[in-house]
Amino acid sequence: MLLKQAEKRDKKKGLNIIIVGCGKVGMSIVDQLSREDHDITVIDNDPQAVQTVTNLYDVIGIVGNGASFSVQTEAGVESADILISVTGSDELNLLCCIAAKRASNCAVIARVRTPDYSDDTAYLKGRLGLAMIINPEKESAREIARIVSLPTALGVSSFARGLAEMVRVRIPEPHYLHGKRLHELSRELDGAVLVCAVERNGEVYIPDGSFQLLSGDAVTFICPSRGAKLFLNRIGFRTNQTRDALIIGGSKAGYYLARMLLAQGVEVRIIESNRDRCEQLSTFLPHATIIHGDGTDADMLREAGIETVDAVIPLTGIDEENIMLTLHAQAVSNAKVVTKINRIMFPEAIERLNLGSVVCPKLIITDIIVAYVRARSASKDYNIETLVHLFDNRVEAIEFLAEAGSPVVDKPLKDLQLRDNLLVCCINRRGSILIPGGDECIREGDSVIIVTKHAGLRELVDILA
Amino acid sequence: MNLPIVWHVLGWIMTLEAGFMALPCAVAVIYGEESGWYFVWVALLELLIAVPLIVNKPRSNVFYIREGCVATALGWIVMSVMGCLPFYFSREIPRFTDALFETVSGFTTTGASVLSDVESLSYCMLFWRSFTHWIGGMGVLVFLLTVLQMPGGSRMNLMKAESPGPTVGKLRPKVRQTARILYAIYFVLTVAEIVLLMAGGMPWFDSVTTAFGSAGTGGFGIKNDSLMSYSPYIQWVTAVFMTLFGVNFSFYYLLLYRKWKQAFTFEEVRTYLLIILAATGLIILDLRHVGLAPADTVRDAFFQVSSIITTTGFSSVDFNLWPETSRTVLVILMFIGACAGSTGGGIKVSRFSVVFKTMFKELHSYVFPHSVRKIKVDGKSVEHEVIRGINVFFLTFMVLFTLSVLCLSLEGRDLVTNFTAVAATINNIGPGLELVGPTGNFGLFSDFSKYVLIFDMLAGRLEMFPILVLFYPPTWRDTLRRRRA
Repeated sequence: MLLKQAEKRDKKKGLNIIIVGCGKVGMSIVDQLSREDHDITVIDNDPQAVQTVTNLYDVIGIVGNGASFSVQTEAGVESADILISVTGSDELNLLCCIAAKRASNCAVIARVRTPDYSDDTAYLKGRLGLAMIINPEKESAREIARIVSLPTALGVSSFARGLAEMVRVRIPEPHYLHGKRLHELSRELDGAVLVCAVERNGEVYIPDGSFQLLSGDAVTFICPSRGAKLFLNRIGFRTNQTRDALIIGGSKAGYYLARMLLAQGVEVRIIESNRDRCEQLSTFLPHATIIHGDGTDADMLREAGIETVDAVIPLTGIDEENIMLTLHAQAVSNAKVVTKINRIMFPEAIERLNLGSVVCPKLIITDIIVAYVRARSASKDYNIETLVHLFDNRVEAIEFLAEAGSPVVDKPLKDLQLRDNLLVCCINRRGSILIPGGDECIREGDSVIIVTKHAGLRELVDILA
Repeated sequence: MNLPIVWHVLGWIMTLEAGFMALPCAVAVIYGEESGWYFVWVALLELLIAVPLIVNKPRSNVFYIREGCVATALGWIVMSVMGCLPFYFSREIPRFTDALFETVSGFTTTGASVLSDVESLSYCMLFWRSFTHWIGGMGVLVFLLTVLQMPGGSRMNLMKAESPGPTVGKLRPKVRQTARILYAIYFVLTVAEIVLLMAGGMPWFDSVTTAFGSAGTGGFGIKNDSLMSYSPYIQWVTAVFMTLFGVNFSFYYLLLYRKWKQAFTFEEVRTYLLIILAATGLIILDLRHVGLAPADTVRDAFFQVSSIITTTGFSSVDFNLWPETSRTVLVILMFIGACAGSTGGGIKVSRFSVVFKTMFKELHSYVFPHSVRKIKVDGKSVEHEVIRGINVFFLTFMVLFTLSVLCLSLEGRDLVTNFTAVAATINNIGPGLELVGPTGNFGLFSDFSKYVLIFDMLAGRLEMFPILVLFYPPTWRDTLRRRRA
């Protein structure tokens, strides 16, 4: 009796989640989800990996093949709410999900990286009943493509189905923005732009109107997608159109990125050391220039035009090589460099290297999954559209769907008792992006973008104090 | 070493103990005893120390196995020292060493007593003495984990340090839920035993204390002759419940969730019951010449076997007077102990079964030198790390055991007394043989020997390493270095 009650109480707060695969992505997901009070079971073939996870986090571990029925049963798949399969093998992930789907009616999420399956997303979701297909390579390529098209930005995240963008820039020294208060800025520019978070000397602030910007601040602002370039131009950032890009390494991420950049009209060069892969790439990407050679060779890079291109993106599979290539590119050219780091073992050291834009696939994937899980655990499903962690998880930007009858709907924002360190920064009303003032109301069907230092908001109502 | 978080945990432990002291106070009120006030004073003293420790939130949440061990070991020491104060202040146990021995013996669920006349204690003191068994049986930190929201890594490391057995199996994904389930099972079984004992006409105070004694597999009786003077029904009930509390609690969890197949193929529980059956049979055979009625022989044999293998230490007969084979069987049972994940002590059945399997594996490799063979438990292969841990545990146990016997021998008593005194404390049983047999007590030892035995009891309950880590200099080196800097 006592037990049942206690269990019920726990139930309300957390979901039963099974995570298959304790690699980089698996660990990162466990790290984030275990903070949100879910019941997590991890499955991996490698006892050592399971041991590590269970030592670090309050989760239960099972050693075995995640696709086997008996292992899934042991993990309690019948009572699970979500199964996330993130092993290194696409096939195993898909098999895990299909097996779990047959054994229970939990939602299943698979990591699928190869383009072969990744292009079948609609089929996998529709016919095989997968709730979500996540592709770290594709998602990181997407983020890199956004940064490449806005080269002054440190990072760009997309909201409201691509209609709004959240852009991070660092204010150089000296600069027009130095010493500006935010309300002065908005009066001078009267554009649809809102500064929603500022990092200064390791501290993060959610600013109000009287906040004063200084040189060296990392500023995050949100605006309609095409407005970012205009805004940056007006406040004196150089925003040249990227015309050509050099991708070092023809991995999956490289392929996805090339495809996206070509679609944007950017001229793409790819250096790849494997002859066969080069020929493959040239078949799939006829408009790209494929160069066969060692991407870590300085002469080779000069030959490929590293000194003159507008953007350099090292995408070798090895973090250390990527970092070295970034430093090299910064030394020999003025190109915009985006570094993809898979593991991030030493965040402090990487911070000091001043690499500029850093993209980390596992964190992007974790954000997507956390958004999904949080939406599932809220009272109404599917109300979170997007979730992005900023500044090492210290700030969350979440896009909620406003539903009828919610206590925040149809009331002027200035009359709502919002929590502190929280900002309602953008509203997407049937495709038009509004930067709300105090008199604006949230309407039913809007999607509302919130920036906050509180972790774990699950629904729009949670913004109230 | 993240000392602030260790202090924080200690603060909570003391608060919890202060809370537990409300129960003996209530008993004192019922029986109108003056000595109940001592519990109030000690509880207040504990709160006075604990509140600043709790309020002062640690800045860093770093909590590795090292912090887990230190917090657990210090926690148990602090708890014992504070817990012995009521005995000491009330002069019911006039010497501090004796009071501490009695309390450590209580919390570690040993049940070894220094008192020659237990019945002279007041009711509230007797109650507290037995209640310490109940608290110590499942563990304070496990209890703490059911109520407190500790930072992520600390939960598992605290549970690991306190829970007996070669590996800690979680029942549910979260430590908190696991701890709750364990305590719920523990509580329900205890209540069931109290009810059944009272149904046999046992006074309520006796039923409650006896239930505490068997639930924690402790063994403090409230009578000088333990359970010898109670009716056969009561002895049967107690014997059966002792056996039940020696079973791995995962077994009950599996029953609770109707995983019958897994429950009835639970290797450790089967082996445990088999050992009980075999030992009881052997003793019955050995006792057939003594000339008791068959029913009494069976009951005596089963009661003693159940009491010793679960490391409880109740007695329904003075087994010191039994024939040599029976006494030897009991001494062997002392070392085997109960199941891992139960409230019992000893080396644990699961460790023994792995050790035996390792032995046969070695034998096999003499016949087929290149054979590869994985050791399996419950159909799953056991990791090398776990086997290594078990072997090291055995060695450490032997070393500590031998050294302790040597320390005790300095007083010049006979080997059987010394040997069984150490065996009975390090395995958390209680009575040994000869001078420390069921009718004897540990009061005859010098203070030095008592401290050796106190150390053994704590080391036995926490399974060696948490206590040993406390005395291993590198544990403290970085803390001391930072102080000096």
